[in-house]
This record gives sequence, structure tokens and C-alpha cells, in this order.
Amino acid sequence: MSCPARLAPVLLASLLGSACSAVTPSSPNPSEGSMPTRRILVNGVRVVVQEFHASDVVAVQLWVGVGARDEASSELGLAHYLEHMLFKGTVTRAPGFVEREVEGVGGRINAGTSLDYTYYHTVLPAPRAIPAVEMLADMSVNSTLSEKTLDLEKRVVLEEMRLGEDNPRRRLSRQLYELLFDGHPYGRPVIGTSELIQVLTRETLVGFYRRHYVPESFVLVVVGPIIASEVLAAAERTLGRLPRSGLKRLPLSAPDAGRSARLEIERPGTQAYLGMAWLGPKLDHADTPVVDLLVSILGQSRSSRLPQMLRERLGLVSSVSTAYSALEAAGAVTVTAQLEPANLARAEAQILRELQRVRERGVTDAELRRAVTAAEARYAFSTETAEGRAYAFGRAETVWRLEEELAYVDRLRSVTPAQIRSAARRYLDPERYARLAFVPPAR
Amino acid sequence: MLASLAALVAAAGTAVAQPPSVTRHVLPNGMAVVVRENPVAPVVTASLQVRAGSRFETAETAGITNFLVRTMIRGTARRSGTQVAETAEDIGGSLDASGEVESAEIRGEALARHWEELLGLIAEVALEPSLRGEEIERERRLVLSQIKTRAETPFSLSLDTLLRELYGSHPYAWHSLGLKSAVERLGRAQLAAHYRAVFRADRAVLAVSGQVSRERVVRAAERLFTKLPRSGAHEVGAAPPAAPSGERRVLERPAQQAQILAGYLGPGLNDPAYPAFRVLGAVLGAGTAGRLFAELREKRGLAYSLGALTPFRTGPSFLVTYLGTAPENSAAAEAGLLAELEKLRRAPVSDEELARAKAYLLGSFALDRRTNARQAWHLAFFEVIGVGWDFPERYARALEAVTTADVEAVAQRYLNRPSIVVLQPPPR
Repeated sequence: MSCPARLAPVLLASLLGSACSAVTPSSPNPSEGSMPTRRILVNGVRVVVQEFHASDVVAVQLWVGVGARDEASSELGLAHYLEHMLFKGTVTRAPGFVEREVEGVGGRINAGTSLDYTYYHTVLPAPRAIPAVEMLADMSVNSTLSEKTLDLEKRVVLEEMRLGEDNPRRRLSRQLYELLFDGHPYGRPVIGTSELIQVLTRETLVGFYRRHYVPESFVLVVVGPIIASEVLAAAERTLGRLPRSGLKRLPLSAPDAGRSARLEIERPGTQAYLGMAWLGPKLDHADTPVVDLLVSILGQSRSSRLPQMLRERLGLVSSVSTAYSALEAAGAVTVTAQLEPANLARAEAQILRELQRVRERGVTDAELRRAVTAAEARYAFSTETAEGRAYAFGRAETVWRLEEELAYVDRLRSVTPAQIRSAARRYLDPERYARLAFVPPAR
Repeated sequence: MLASLAALVAAAGTAVAQPPSVTRHVLPNGMAVVVRENPVAPVVTASLQVRAGSRFETAETAGITNFLVRTMIRGTARRSGTQVAETAEDIGGSLDASGEVESAEIRGEALARHWEELLGLIAEVALEPSLRGEEIERERRLVLSQIKTRAETPFSLSLDTLLRELYGSHPYAWHSLGLKSAVERLGRAQLAAHYRAVFRADRAVLAVSGQVSRERVVRAAERLFTKLPRSGAHEVGAAPPAAPSGERRVLERPAQQAQILAGYLGPGLNDPAYPAFRVLGAVLGAGTAGRLFAELREKRGLAYSLGALTPFRTGPSFLVTYLGTAPENSAAAEAGLLAELEKLRRAPVSDEELARAKAYLLGSFALDRRTNARQAWHLAFFEVIGVGWDFPERYARALEAVTTADVEAVAQRYLNRPSIVVLQPPPR
């Protein structure tokens, strides 16, 4: 099961290294479960609650409107580092609280940091919902961020960086974004740089924490067999008591027009990896559903165009796929492939030919129908679990709007083949794109 | 402001928290059909599994089952591979297949309203695969590329090396993708013969989970799979004994991190000691409370990624502990990992630790079975390997009953002389 195109959790760095393992973001299926309730507390904290009785499991998530894009150039990696540190204890919760309050009762907790947001997600037996709200509220403002744990965690985060370097696909994504968004905050590594992490001080981290972990940045989402009024009351007496900070998150400017850039990097192994990227529409743009479907038709299923042409008919690649990540201030459309080094040039040329074909002749009604059905099915499948629903609500409320999320499938249904062709012409310029390849070392 | 989203949501249903019901039926030809009615979401998933896989292969045929089922979804007597994919996508779904260690699976998912078309497509692939020559060659190329990728990825290379050290000539020694030497040579005749041998009603199970009616699924399955022949008695040949080397192997590969893995053989899932062995694994590797995380990551900052693996195996299972660390910390991390293993052998676990490990395992097992896809897989898997679709419930009760003495006993019995693999970059 894959994440919907526009929601690809690109560059998400997580506490335990399993980001997006179980959650597929989505909007809820309207026919199941109660309606989500949205409430804004007096201090600006937003709360979304849905009673959902599929199992005895509740999902409790705290979303924070801070990500790598909010970092100054001297703060790279701080949002992610802070996410790690929030698990190290609060003023009243000794280190090890996660194992006592979550794992010890059969639950799970993890967290992820992306360019636009950070989120803490937990699943627990339903009776633990209110204690989990209290725990997340405590972590969000009372973490001790002690000097000793800060230094120790540096070693862990440096290992996380090394792990990412050894994973060609992850590294390709990260470096492709750097190339596409060069000079823009979206071109920064979420995990930061080893130089900055090594010299990070408690004072800097605490400053970042106090600045960004404020009521106006928080979205609490609870989905499960709970009583909404009880959850709202718990939110009021915890997060609701925090003083307003007056923080207004600065809007991010759009990146300059897409860059043409080419980069080839040697890495160990005998296979090559190719990434190509174009700027796409930002999340809050009329073209978002159109590009979502375009990307799906190009390369998100077995029958889609690039896998059929490059992998099946021509045998040029062992895998090829497309992704569209719609961020708050910009979007990225990417094509990535794994292949034999000798096929690099031909594969790239063939990908461009396929893009040109869509630009000139558009897509068929059958392709469009299939892509809409696939999106509808992805939504339906992601409503199976409490955390799948909570993820969709939390992300929408943090970087978009909940009502847009809930109406998204209907917007997809109204897209026409003509719109897809014109989006291909607007966004997928075969002469202007970022291109990155990993190739085996020269002998 | 309390804003209800009623206007934005078309029609809210009222699902009730009750466990979806599961039933099992045996078709006249001997094939088992397990159905789980689950009203939660308008979707359906199906898992057709046959008792085949790398467990039953030899070094000469290693990978044949995965190769076969991957080729089966590449076309039938009626449809090309592209048409199979398009048909699945037209009903809001997908079709996929893989050969694993204990079973091989053809799986599909779709919007619930198309459940019958989904079952029809799975039946078509299972009963009328074309196994065309050009599709065999396309799939061979992809499988060989996957084998190569595993061999070039530090963690999977290390794990595969360790499993060879642990299992020797036992077929659990290789990954279900198979061995390059075998996959390069397997021809259509061998694949077709393997198909005829393993796609047999009495070694197949169909599990369906989703918004479906049990009676209608059973009736459809009866109609669709009636031509799947019985095999008569099929013997599962004894595998060569597993013989761990107990050695330390060092691999030199260019990488940012060193990989350190240490493993032991353990009991199979039918062995009374199996639940305690899983608890032992959880004491070491379960979440942030696991000893490896607490000692090697939290206290010493030696790793980001680390843990313990214990699989479901009908034959001897394994416990593999692993971590990735900076090359200069490799020796300290290896010593730390081995010290934790030794500690477990020498001193009993505390009641608190036992309770935590059990809660973690039971939680994981329950959390992992909440989607229809995972449910269908679990139901078909446990049924096809012969322990029954309801194994998870019995297993959960057995986990709850594990005592500290049980854990101590399995530690004494199984944690002897680890086999070790260290992957590290060449010295500069």
C-alpha cells in the first residue's frame, strides 16, 4: 500500500527509523465512524477528535507546526534533534517514561520530522487515551533537554545520518531535493549536518524549543473508541492552559523557477540510481489534484506508463516510479529509477520521451478513470486504522485545512484529461529539471 | 468554537467495536477458505497461499517458488500481464505475489464492491497462468536485480551471511528470492512442473477479509476454485539438519556504518519453548525498553538502528541481534552486544522486565493484525502451514503464560556460542 502521491512523506526523519511504516495518510471514508470534531482552544491549540470503533486501539497524535524550513542556516537539524530529545524526560517524568506509559501497556510511540512539520504519534489501548494526551502535552512544553542526554543523543543522530548515507534511495531523495530547491529552505537536509549537530548547545536547543513549541503551533488529534467530550476536556486542562505566545509562523516564499542542474555522484555497488525532479504546485493550489493524477498515470502502479515502457517493454530499469510531494510553499514531482549503469542515458531519454508524449497527446479516459479509482481505494484502505485517519486529520490541520482534506477525493473525480495534459505542459518541462545519478566508482 | 464537520461528511455510519467474525470452510476439492467479515472500511483483501517456498527448495532450485508466482501474475490464458494489472487497478486494487520461506502468496486488494471480480482474477492467475517465455525472462531479470541489491546493501548482505552461518545446508540458509546460480538456470519446464506440484487444492488456503458476506464468498470460491486439483498425499521431505557455525565472519565493504550481527538457532513455532524464546527476543530488542536500546543506544549512543529478530518458522527459528555503528565504534559495539547476550544467559530477567516484554509482544501482534491485508495474510499463513488460522489466539495465551523461569531455560538452552557477522569498511 502506498501513500497518496501528494502526501509522500518525503525526507521524513524519525525517532525509531520506521516513519510511515503503518500509516497511510488519507481522508476518512464518510460512511464509517463518526464525524471528526474540530475545536480551537482559547490559546490557539487546535484539537481534532473522531470517535471510531473499529478496534480497541486509540491513536493520539500531537502535530507541531515546525520543520526544517523554520530553521535558520545556523540551526539546521534542530527540529529533528528536538524531536529526539522530547523522549528523554520532562520536569515530572523521569527518562524511561515511554516504556512505562506506552510500551508497558502494549502501545507504540514514534515521531517524525519533515520540512513543514513535526509530529508525535502513538497508538494505545483505548483506556489510555487521556493519559496519552497528558503525556504528549507534558513533553511538548516541559521537556528537560538535559545537557547530559543532549551530548549522548548527538552520537545517535550521527549514526542516523550514516545510516541514511548507506541507503541509496533515501540519499537520492534527499540530494535530489537539495538540487531542485537549491538555496531555498526546502533544499535543506531535515536531519541537519554533522558539523552543526556536533557543536549544538543546550541553550540553542532550548531557544528553538521555546520559540516553536507554543499553543499556536499545536494540533492534537485523537481517533478511536473514545468519548469526544472527555478528550476535549483533557485537552482543555492540559494544552489549553498554556499561555499564548503570539507566534505567527512566517509564510515561506516560493522557490525560484525550477532549476536545470545535473549531478553525478559515485557510490559503492554495481547498480546505478537515477533521480529527476521538477517543481510542482504547492499543497494549496488548484492544480494539486491534477498533478496527483498525472503522477499516478505516469508511474505509480504496475500498469502505469513509465514501468510499462522502461521496465517491461524496453528492459532498461529494474524499477521506476514517480512521486509528487505537495508541500506548503512548493511541490516536487520526482521520477526515480534503479538500473544498470550502462542504461542511464537511454533511460533518462526515454523518461523524457514519455513526458513529451503526455504533453503532446494527453492521457486516455481509461487511464484517468483508473487513477481516480486508485486514489479512491487508497483513501478507503487508509481509513482502516485509527492512526491512518489521525495522520490525515493532523497533517491537513497543520499544513492545509481539514475541510479540504475531507473533500479531496471529490476534487480528484472532477479532473479532466485536458487538465492533465495542460498540467504536464506547465510543470514537466523536458528541458528544465534537476537530475541526479549515483553511479558505481570508476575502476 | 466547536465546529462539527457534519456538512462536510456525507453520511456517518455507526460502527460498533466488536471483533469481526472469522469462519473456515473446506471446499469439496479440499481447499480451505477462511473469511473474516469486517465492516470497518469499504475494502476487501484476499490472500491465496500455497504450502511452498524456500523451506522446500534445494540449492539447485533456490528461488523457484518466488520466481514461479511472480511470473504467474504476468499473464494468464486470457490476459496479458498488463491486462492483469489493469483489471486489478480498474477495481481499485492491485495484485501481487511472492514466494516466502514457508508459503507462497498471491494477494489482492480492491474496493469492497468489487470483491467478486478480485476473487475471479486471483483464481484466473492461480488456475490459468500462461508462464510465457518472454515473461519468464523479464521476471528473471528483475529477480536477479533484487538478489544483487540485497548483496550490495550492508544490512541485508550481513543478515543473509549470518543465516548461512546459522543454517548451513538447511534451506532456511538462503533468502526466499533464491540463489543467483539457481535463478539464472531455471527454465520454463521446471517452473511449469513446480506449478503443477504446488498449486494443489489440499495445500492451498484462500483467506478473505473485508466488507464482504461470508456465504457469498464461500459460494464464489467454490465456483472459482473447483478446478484446482487435489494432489493426494504430499510428503514434506525432511530438510538437512541446521548446523550453526558458531564462527565470526568479517566482510569488508565500503560503507558509512559497520554492521554487527550475532545470532542463534531457536525452537520452531510448534515447540512448547517457542513463546518463551520470543519473550527472550523481546527482552533484548523490544522498543525503547529492550536491553539493546536501553544499554547500547540510550546509555552509550552506539547506534541509531538496532534490535532483535525472531521469525515464525515451522522448523528451527532464529534469534538475530543487530546494530549499525560508526566503524571506529565497531569493536566496542560488538563487545557491548555480546555482553548483553551473555548477561541474559547468566542472570534471570526480572518480573517487571518479563511483564514489559510480554506486553510489548502482545501489543505488536495485536497492532499488526488490524488491517484487512494483514489479517488475510495471517489467516492464510497459519492455516496453510498447518497450525490453524486461530493460532494467534493460542499463541497470545501461551505468551501470557511465560514465566521468568521459562525465559531463563530458553536462554540456557539456546544462547550458546553465537554466530557473528561483522561488516566493516576496509581500513583506510
